[in-house]
Amino acid sequence: MFSLKTITFDQIKTSSIALEFDELIPDEIYSWTEADFAKYQVPIGNSRFPITDFFEITVEGEANGPDEVEMILNGDLNRVKYIGCKMSGGNIVCNSSVDLHVGAEMSGGSILVKGDAAAHAGREMSGGYLEIEGNTKEFTGASYIGEWRGMTGGQIVVGGNAGKQCGECLTGGRIHVKGNCDILAGIHMTKGLIEIDGDVNRWPGGQMKNGNIVIHGFLGRLLEGFVLNGIVVDPEVDGSVFEGKYIHYTGDIGLNGKGNLYLDAEANKEKLATYGELDDEYTSIREYRNL
Amino acid sequence: MCQIQTHSKGDIMEYILKNGIVYDPANEVNGEKMDVMFKDGIIVDNVSADAKVLDVTDKIVMPAGIDPHAHVAGPKLVVGRLYRPEDSRRGVTQKTKVLRSESGFSIPSCPATGYRYSRLGYGTVVEAAMPPLEAKHTHEEIATIPQLDIPALPLFGNNWFVMEYAKDNNIEDIAAFIAAWLKISKGYGVKIVNPCGSEAWGWGMNVHGFNDKAPYFDVTSKEVVIALAKANEMLNLPHSIHIHPNDLGHPGNVPTTLQTMDAMDGIKKGKGAAEIRDQVMHMTHLQFHSYLGNSWKDVTSGAEEVAKHFNKKDNITCDIGQVTFDETTTMTADAPMEYDLFRLSGLKWTNKDIECETAAGIIPCIYSKKSPVSTLQWAIGLELFLLIEDPWRVCLTTDHPNAGPFTRYPRIISWLMSNEKRLDMCENEVHKWVNKRTLLPTLEREYDFYDIATITRAAPAKIYGFTDKGALTPGYRADIAVYDINPNDIDPSKQPDEIEKGFNVAEYTIKDGQILVKDKEIVKVKESQNVWVNVKGWEQQEQKVIDNIMPFFTQYYSVKWENYPVHDHYVSNPIRIDVDGK
Repeated sequence: MFSLKTITFDQIKTSSIALEFDELIPDEIYSWTEADFAKYQVPIGNSRFPITDFFEITVEGEANGPDEVEMILNGDLNRVKYIGCKMSGGNIVCNSSVDLHVGAEMSGGSILVKGDAAAHAGREMSGGYLEIEGNTKEFTGASYIGEWRGMTGGQIVVGGNAGKQCGECLTGGRIHVKGNCDILAGIHMTKGLIEIDGDVNRWPGGQMKNGNIVIHGFLGRLLEGFVLNGIVVDPEVDGSVFEGKYIHYTGDIGLNGKGNLYLDAEANKEKLATYGELDDEYTSIREYRNL
Repeated sequence: MCQIQTHSKGDIMEYILKNGIVYDPANEVNGEKMDVMFKDGIIVDNVSADAKVLDVTDKIVMPAGIDPHAHVAGPKLVVGRLYRPEDSRRGVTQKTKVLRSESGFSIPSCPATGYRYSRLGYGTVVEAAMPPLEAKHTHEEIATIPQLDIPALPLFGNNWFVMEYAKDNNIEDIAAFIAAWLKISKGYGVKIVNPCGSEAWGWGMNVHGFNDKAPYFDVTSKEVVIALAKANEMLNLPHSIHIHPNDLGHPGNVPTTLQTMDAMDGIKKGKGAAEIRDQVMHMTHLQFHSYLGNSWKDVTSGAEEVAKHFNKKDNITCDIGQVTFDETTTMTADAPMEYDLFRLSGLKWTNKDIECETAAGIIPCIYSKKSPVSTLQWAIGLELFLLIEDPWRVCLTTDHPNAGPFTRYPRIISWLMSNEKRLDMCENEVHKWVNKRTLLPTLEREYDFYDIATITRAAPAKIYGFTDKGALTPGYRADIAVYDINPNDIDPSKQPDEIEKGFNVAEYTIKDGQILVKDKEIVKVKESQNVWVNVKGWEQQEQKVIDNIMPFFTQYYSVKWENYPVHDHYVSNPIRIDVDGK
């Protein structure tokens, strides 16, 4: 990303209580100088402390807006939360694992986490790009408690595994989990795409009304509310073509849902076996059964 | 009627609001440049030379606002906050040296409710639905809302005992019951919600129309409403019955609304009440009751028909329940309607039964400019404002939070004052139904500042029988609002955004002579006061009624009688209004 101003945070010491970084986003600090940072106090629990007690901050270059800022965070960020929360532009690179709520409610810009992220990554994000090279925990791209609209736009890429309820109430955007995914991925989703390269524990798409889930690995258990549509080859889903043969389900019929769930046919051969012997072309199980 | 315990100690100082442009409809003051004086919390007509001068030159001065119908305290607010944490995340502020932190948009936290009304220049808000069984909790919540006087209206329209008495046309016992229950619940007046319908909901049903019977009670809504109206007038209560009619929000509900109005034709005003107010029935959120058609496919505005009928009935007043195009939370004792709304929208829904008394439902609601139905509702509200001829008979409300949060009042004022703004919205912003199914684009009337002061101050005060607020009369409470708007320097028709901005935050809000908002910032927090009505002269009949119903109460209520009333310690610093009921 093109940037004119680089703000580097080099950690001096850690805190046992998490530092809250939601005020330190490009939207707020694009015009700050090192002197401004020296005056700033970061929230920690119910108090505030000088940010310079924890980070040495270097500012290089000038920026006229958040899009021209790159923040580089070095050190152990396991107790730094809300990184990039509500940001609308700019670029953040975290050279460590990070704490809760990274990229939550972001609407633009990009965040790269070179490690793991704790829970709530990218919750309710509406735009931008969040990449987590390691694993993440629960509620990736999900809605906050009570809200029925989760992530509405943008893209999340998880290099490792994702925890429970990934993409809960997904209302737009894309989530790509390159590892495995825990239970209830895409629960209550109404739009958007969740792509999971690895295995899924069980119950993806519970009470989904619309949207798409593509699982390239093995699925432990499918909910009863999904109706088998048949086998599809090289399906085009949400503008992307997924090569190979997939078992296509529609659900969740409990809510008259019209969501699509695609399971890799090879990885889930045992499931196919329960539907009876298939013809060589893997055409349509429904047609096959009608025969 | 007399009022006692009226004044908490205000600043022991004298003040002059100097050179303001005053709108005080109760005293027929229409934009005159004059001084307003107050001393020890009371408006006076002269002060000593030591009086402190507040320069409000060329700024609008009005009595503090009175919201005649809002839902600000009670169990459904708590349930609403619990099940809509996503709403609580909106509007969060940090605490300051003066204020506690705020949260919430459509269901603000208790402190936020008081602060936001204060910023708008309001001093009194009526909590429009208090189940007697939950009155204790309602008063606890009122105690945590600062800055306001808060009367609460107990619900009577689906009360088992009221329905039994109404079936027998036993008006005297209903009157005694009301007198007793106002004392028990520390309530101000008689609220009726979907009469017989909320009771029917206990059986999974609703009543349809004004002449439908509650299941197992053999009594119609019409009989209940007429009986309560007669009892209300028999007691000389300061406020009339306050009704949310049947069939709220259903296409084709206009006949029910008109029949409800007609039912008041023979009702005589109480001899004590007649001096204060004109009406025998206040119809609330009339917008929700003005739909023609048979379904949402062919629904059209019934505002013209309703307003025409309403204009002929000088014994009825109303408020509107104006839709504001926000994501809000609907909450009402009309539980079957909430279920219907849930079936329509599919959003999360919660329901509550209040044993023997009423019910309640809550569901989020998104009023969108793109939605045909939301647009229709928005237009109907404005049509009613513009078609009802007498501003003294109509009040500004959003039925907070049902049609939108009260914080949108300034925006509604800007719509009422600018035809240009309305036309622009009709052409460019809202759904095309506004042109096909409503008259709004053809209505050119514009409110002026005097009309605005009437529908937000003078009219609600008169409708509620307040004899100490809603006007700048010497002897009245010094409840005053000052807005940074120069009426001589602004054309509301051409500058609606400036009007909204000007009314959004008061320059000064003065409550009981205490300056709560100064220079658009809250500088002082004041404890709220509950206002309740104490009917005198019915004590023996009250005891008789209580003795009569006690076996039923013991059998059907899950609380003991001793725990039922609101004891005095639940209502700190109340304003008790004594009424001679005989």
